[in-house]
Amino acid sequence: MRAALAHGLARLRRDRTRAVLAAGGIAAASAMVAAAATLVFALSTGFDRTAARAGLPEVTARFAPATVAAVATRVDSLANVRRVAYRFEVTNSAIDADGKFANGTVVGVQRGPRGYAVVSGRDVEHSGQAVVEPGLARAWHLHPGARVTLSGPGRTLTEEIVGTGIAPDSVAYPLTRNPRVYVAIGDARALGGATSAAVNSVLLWVADPSQLPVTLEQARSATFGVSQLSFVTRAGFQQLIGRAAGIVIALLVAFSLVALAAAGIMLAASSSAEVQRRREAIGILRTFGATPGHLAAGYAAEAALVAAPAAAVGIVAGWLAVGGPVRRLLDVLNELMPGAPALAGLLAACWLAVVVLVASATWFPTRGVGRRPVVDSLREADVVATPRRIPLPALVGFGARLALARPFRTAALVAVLAASMAVVLLILTIASVLNGLQQNAQTLGKRYQLVVPASPGAVARARAIPGVALAAERYETDAVDSFDLGETFRFVSYPGDIARFEAPPLSEGRRVRAPGETDVGLGLAQALGLDVGSLLAAQLPSGAEIRFRVVGIVQALRDQGLVAYVQPARLLAAGTALSTDVVITLRPHADLQTVRNAFARSGIATSRSGGIAEDSGFTGSVGRTAFLDVLATLLRSVALLDGLVCVYALAQMLALLARERRRAVAVLRAIGASRAQVLALFAGAALLVAGFATPVGIALEQFVLGPVVGALAVSYVTLSLRAGAPEVGAVVAGVALAIAVTAGWATRTATAGVIVRPLREE
Amino acid sequence: MPAAPRRLYPERVASPVVRVRGVVKSYGRGRGAVRVLDGVDLDVESGELVAIVGRSGSGKSTLLHLLGGLDYADEGTIAVAGERLELLDERGRTALRRRAIGFVFQSFHLLPELSGLENVLLPARLARTGTGAPARARALIDELGLGDTAARLPATLSGGEQQRLAVARALVNEPALILADEPTGNLDEESGAAVLQLLRVVADRGRAVVLVTHDPAAGDVADRTLTVRAGRLHA
Repeated sequence: MRAALAHGLARLRRDRTRAVLAAGGIAAASAMVAAAATLVFALSTGFDRTAARAGLPEVTARFAPATVAAVATRVDSLANVRRVAYRFEVTNSAIDADGKFANGTVVGVQRGPRGYAVVSGRDVEHSGQAVVEPGLARAWHLHPGARVTLSGPGRTLTEEIVGTGIAPDSVAYPLTRNPRVYVAIGDARALGGATSAAVNSVLLWVADPSQLPVTLEQARSATFGVSQLSFVTRAGFQQLIGRAAGIVIALLVAFSLVALAAAGIMLAASSSAEVQRRREAIGILRTFGATPGHLAAGYAAEAALVAAPAAAVGIVAGWLAVGGPVRRLLDVLNELMPGAPALAGLLAACWLAVVVLVASATWFPTRGVGRRPVVDSLREADVVATPRRIPLPALVGFGARLALARPFRTAALVAVLAASMAVVLLILTIASVLNGLQQNAQTLGKRYQLVVPASPGAVARARAIPGVALAAERYETDAVDSFDLGETFRFVSYPGDIARFEAPPLSEGRRVRAPGETDVGLGLAQALGLDVGSLLAAQLPSGAEIRFRVVGIVQALRDQGLVAYVQPARLLAAGTALSTDVVITLRPHADLQTVRNAFARSGIATSRSGGIAEDSGFTGSVGRTAFLDVLATLLRSVALLDGLVCVYALAQMLALLARERRRAVAVLRAIGASRAQVLALFAGAALLVAGFATPVGIALEQFVLGPVVGALAVSYVTLSLRAGAPEVGAVVAGVALAIAVTAGWATRTATAGVIVRPLREE
Repeated sequence: MPAAPRRLYPERVASPVVRVRGVVKSYGRGRGAVRVLDGVDLDVESGELVAIVGRSGSGKSTLLHLLGGLDYADEGTIAVAGERLELLDERGRTALRRRAIGFVFQSFHLLPELSGLENVLLPARLARTGTGAPARARALIDELGLGDTAARLPATLSGGEQQRLAVARALVNEPALILADEPTGNLDEESGAAVLQLLRVVADRGRAVVLVTHDPAAGDVADRTLTVRAGRLHA
């Protein structure tokens, strides 16, 4: 072992360029590992981590205001309950601070468990104090000591902010339109105009979570007389949050797993290639009595010595690259970053895994070479016959042959490059989809181009504008499922054939044809267990109940699929307040701006139909856009790392080629090869790898990654993540650029010194 | 190939293919510097085979590399086929090597991925010398008795066969100067003699040949034998 280690260390000292190259590769792969691991760990455990820190209850029950005594009697009858906390919540309270305003929920809390974690300042101790959620504090720049004014049906209160508190049962403001403020329960009751003993929410912590279904069953049977009761479990909250943000979190987690695999392949290929270069030395050491085990251990130790500092640098770089965006993403989800010890442990585990992987990837092939006949190693018997004819120009073809002389290395590099390209394609496709969701109404199934305010005669006036094909009133209103009042959704209504104005892809059934029919989004169908033929019973804000027969299920992206499309007759008959405007579709080839100008001349303001950014009103759009921006930043960070992996993989292959075949290059130069011809040689080698990797990478994305990640991302819609021509073109152009850059660099390196030096080496 | 009679004097002596004046070459720096060549002068005419001998490390190969433009002299002038090497940049030297110089190495340096014929053709492909190159290469291979080796990879050939292929590769562009660095160093006596005889024939056909060797038999085929001693050439 010592002889091998001494030889390895001597090589390191003598050939520092090679050592730096190897270390650079390990650092790059380690950065990918750290970035992917940080993403996976932070995002996949975010809810549970924050729920544990906040002490989120297993069950949250909400009901119409009742006395504490009446509710406590029923709670006390439950067997499995460990702790209880009562609250009084005031929804739609006006929250006003520092000139900013929002409608939110004021939560009155008592002493005892609170169900949220104070992350800065202190908790509410008595009347006049408030804890705000971090999203609100960030958005409004609120700090402990600031004051917030709360207005409800009972009265208006001004409270001092004493801290910020986080609970993962909702996404953060402004992603959600309703921020939360925690106050003393007496203040909340006063705000809501309730009696001094009133509560309308109870948090339950159970002794045995596995018996939760039994406890819920008991609770339903024990709550006779409590009205408007709904239960939400911790798992239910997790599902709700997942529905809001799951689309891209799933994508990121899936990507990270792919990136981890690619990094592993790259490290293994690199280490294995290094062993191939030592075959002659292995043969010599075996001649003088070294055993395969000694050789493997010695070289593995040397590899570990190189890998340890390089991996440390890479791990830190990877964490720095994604740490900030991940924190921002978790912030908008109301979730906490992992603690420093957990993160340090994770990164240390990554570091150890990289070092062990590098050492193992050296140990196994070294032992394999060491076990072969010594004479094979001395003859460098690994240079194999290569295809005699490659349909490429002479030197390009020769470069390809040089690459094929190391078939396993070439295959490993093809695998790395293909995986990296597939991931980059996927990222570009995701970015394109996100952009479509944010900006393009058609992505959401909208077929109208303009929206104008509703007013008497607005439809007729709109139809008279040149270029307008259709104009109709659109009605929208929130509703809640009548059966358990636990699921809110939105009715969207157009007269006549709804598909003329909004037509998300039909997943099942048919389009609405009659006033008593509805097409529901897949998200709503999943939430309420609706099928074609089911009855959708909904309670409107006015308290009226209306019913529709489900005739179709559509893949609606808006509102996470919690939407029902109906004709307006029953909504209008229910006498509820409806949000109304007029939507406009244009004639084919009509110029949008010309039509808008015509509206403007008629004194009608228009707005364009938008994607998610314009889907939910001003406050919501700001939140969603910020959310998408954070995701885009995160994706860009990951794509950058992945692109660097591609470039590095090619550069490493060519650097190895230049070093291994330096005599061949010198001979070529001696017999008259110009730099351009040497460049053609290296480009040929790179082209061979890229030529195999490109179709494999594209196919991998088209037929495996795209469909699988698309299916993972959301269950309420079929999201196509198959790369289109622009994404494929961009990746192919990137690969071509990488080939040019790396071949140029390798040529420059290989032709930098005088020709005789490699020729003298025997 | 029949053995050609040895000629003591070249037929054409109009202008030397190689003209070296006052060449100095050192390795290392400062006090550790070693002056390997210290004012070398040499002329080699067309059709002349010059053998250069000397102890290991005396500077024989260094001189050969300088003549081929593979390395740079510290002082002095070297002209090959009328071109002053010290005035040429790397691009110019590359062009000169393509046109006027052929190399034969001790370790053959055939590219293992290419067949015998492809190795021989390689300089022609680099120089893009047109459609005549394959026929020329084939003729050379046949003339050297290597017809069976054309399609085989170098690893399957004997040392003698590889070195003859290397000579064919050096000749395929019909250069004015052949530089052979210990061409018999890795061969047995019989194969070495055949390669020396081959170089003699090459010289007899009008090319200048500079042969660096330890082989005493080289003196039998060379027109002149020069010894490198103390950095200079001695007759």
